[in-house]
Amino acid sequence: MLKITLPLVVIFVVAGVIMAMTYQQTYPVRFQAEKKEKEEALKEMAPNATDPIKPAGTWNAENKTYEYYRATADGKPVAYISETAGKGYSSFIKMLVSLGPDMKVNDVKVMDMNETPGLGDQVLEKSFLDQFKGKALTQIVLIKGETKENIQAISGATYSSRGVTNGVRDAVKTLMDNYGAGVNAAAAQGVTK
Amino acid sequence: MSDNVSLGKLFKNGIFGENPVFRLALSLCPAVAVTSGVKNGFLMGVAVMFVMTMTNVTVSLLRNFINPKVRIPSYVFITATWVTVIDQVMSAYQRAVYKEMGLYIMLIVAFAIILSRAEMFASKNKLLPSFVDGVGMGVGFLLALVLLGVFREFLGKGSLWGAQILSSKPLLIMIMPAGGFFAMGLMMGWLNWIDRKFFGGTGASSGGH
Repeated sequence: MLKITLPLVVIFVVAGVIMAMTYQQTYPVRFQAEKKEKEEALKEMAPNATDPIKPAGTWNAENKTYEYYRATADGKPVAYISETAGKGYSSFIKMLVSLGPDMKVNDVKVMDMNETPGLGDQVLEKSFLDQFKGKALTQIVLIKGETKENIQAISGATYSSRGVTNGVRDAVKTLMDNYGAGVNAAAAQGVTK
Repeated sequence: MSDNVSLGKLFKNGIFGENPVFRLALSLCPAVAVTSGVKNGFLMGVAVMFVMTMTNVTVSLLRNFINPKVRIPSYVFITATWVTVIDQVMSAYQRAVYKEMGLYIMLIVAFAIILSRAEMFASKNKLLPSFVDGVGMGVGFLLALVLLGVFREFLGKGSLWGAQILSSKPLLIMIMPAGGFFAMGLMMGWLNWIDRKFFGGTGASSGGH
């Protein structure tokens, strides 16, 4: 009995140690690289911003905490950005979403995901992500079939499309809850004038 | 396989005689899933080649240590360890490559072709032949995936490696999963025909696993 079990246990333990050591070695490097990538991505999301983009607060969804940011140029807001994620087919699709001051989507960028290559990873394609541009909260709904008004799902990748759409909607909702009042007030002011 | 089989022959065996996709008909699931484009197929092929070689070498080194009764969990664990290590190292030091290939690496743990090479070859052979077998099979898998990718992407999207060549999409179904099976079946039959006609072979001998 021991003759059978012992080698197996040895293999498992050695493999476990190897994996743990690799993790320990690579984690700090990866952490730094990811931090730098995020900073660069934030800059890309708000190209007009002149002031450094700093976290403005956090929000929670499904036991995860996401940060949101307010990008300004000379003290005036030019974009609101939020981290978000949506559950796709085989992973959480992590994204950054930026809104213009008019509370419409400016840009969506997928930061990390593990969807099926060839099917789910089509959500990275520009033709899909560009659909979000200029859309307001109520328009961000996934439709199976032709649509210009809403978001059209990719055939063969409905779950992944839904993950992205839900993630974006959550982010837009959060940003509107925090900053949307200002927009409504400004709009109301515009009407009275 | 005995020791006197030359290494060159062993290498070629993985590409032609026992091509993982077209001859052994193993790991067809990833072969269909990722070959909607040449680039996907290529990246997956490279990742598989690497993991297969490493696993073959490790299994060969440990072949007298692993008890035959528990060999399958041992092989799976060895594969999983290599996959994890490669994933971690790549994600830290090769960010650009990892962004392209990261999707494929984790899938490899469950590939039939890797387990089958460990079981059928590496566990019975010395280090060097196992290494050559791993590389040969890896190249064979890579070539098969690229071939399928070229066929499907060109017919399905009218492009190659993402670059648009035709202005139309001649056969959209080719990039769908069903088209993957069509392409694979056609290509398998075509290669068998070439083998019989020009090389006097018998075609694929075994069915799917």
